[in-house]
Amino acid sequence: MEETATAGASQESFVRPYMITGGRTVGAAGEIPIETLVVAQRPRDGLNPDHASVVDLCSEPLSVAEIAVHIRQPLGVARVLVADLTASGHVEQYETAATEGAAIVRRLLDGIRSL
Amino acid sequence: MASVHSDPTAPRPVSAKIVVSGGFGVGKTTLVGTVSEIKPLRTEAAMTTVGIGVDDASQVETKTTTTVAMDFGKLTVEEGLVLYLFGTPGQDRFGFMWNDVADGALGAIVLVDTRRLDECYGAVDYFESRGMPFVVACNQFEGSPMHDLEEVRMALDVPANVPIFMTDARDHRQVQNSLLHLLEYVLVEMEKQEAAAAAAVPPPEPLFTKNQPVGTGVGEGVRF
Ligand SMILES: Nc1nc2c(ncn2[C@@H]2O[C@H](COP(=O)(O)OP(=O)(O)OP(=O)(O)O)[C@@H](O)[C@H]2O)c(=O)[nH]1
Ligand SMILES: [Mg+2]
Repeated sequence: MEETATAGASQESFVRPYMITGGRTVGAAGEIPIETLVVAQRPRDGLNPDHASVVDLCSEPLSVAEIAVHIRQPLGVARVLVADLTASGHVEQYETAATEGAAIVRRLLDGIRSL
Repeated sequence: MASVHSDPTAPRPVSAKIVVSGGFGVGKTTLVGTVSEIKPLRTEAAMTTVGIGVDDASQVETKTTTTVAMDFGKLTVEEGLVLYLFGTPGQDRFGFMWNDVADGALGAIVLVDTRRLDECYGAVDYFESRGMPFVVACNQFEGSPMHDLEEVRMALDVPANVPIFMTDARDHRQVQNSLLHLLEYVLVEMEKQEAAAAAAVPPPEPLFTKNQPVGTGVGEGVRF
């Protein structure tokens, strides 16, 4: 089934990731889980366009995976940008279930049962 | 909706992830799309494949990281609680790791077409070897023979406590139930682990042990 939106597969994106991340490797930010919700904390003023576009996307909490799709880049690039913006205080990352234990599973069960 | 961060009293949002896996064309993307509030999105994620010297006489393990397309969807379960569902690509290579997708996931649904049971062996082995809780959901296709679920269990060689059930990846209610089956099982497994961890807490160290003079403990070593 090919009716899904695609990102990161185009020819140009082969060169672009290197430029966006300044050649830093994905591993530098490899620890951010792809489901991590990211939310803007400060105005985008003064940021370069790639970083600014991530801040714009995160006016509401958005996952790293969704950010990657929206900026049409592989996950690794989205991770590096989010790591930069977290360090500079422009965005904040929220916790994921991996660190929350059984309580979150109970909340998910209750929530889905009442959907 | 106002930005969450503008209300300091609002609970911090949290996100969770589950994996939808199985062989080629078993309905993974369909299942994700059925419960997702967004049209499934596709992104490129990292996957490591482990090959043992097929074309290499030395039989050395080689690891290669490639990118693979993943589909994912999103379900806001309640305000500030978001569940992401990631569909893995069909995979039948010898060894592989869906690093980005599996790390930190609560558990997995292994989707099975009962006409092609062998195609999900890779996924079953993978989650078993990672110790990640998984359930087996048999997707009903037209012309699928009605399999006895216990026969499926035997054929896949999964333990008796792993839930196996029928589903229809196109049906909202059935997919919701599949999520519930998985999360109920994940909760049972987590509670088991928490109980085991609590039981395994070592007794407190005695303050002084025989033959060990007071004052040479940690943090008070010999000063030069
Ligand atoms: N009869 C029936 N058809 C289904 C069901 N689920 C999916 N299909 C169909 O099976 C085909 C494959 O479904 P996909 O959701 O694309 O399968 P997939 O596992 O994502 O496939 P790959 O990503 O290519 O491995 C599509 O034509 C679906 O419409 C089901 O429960 N019953
Ligand atoms: Mg698919």
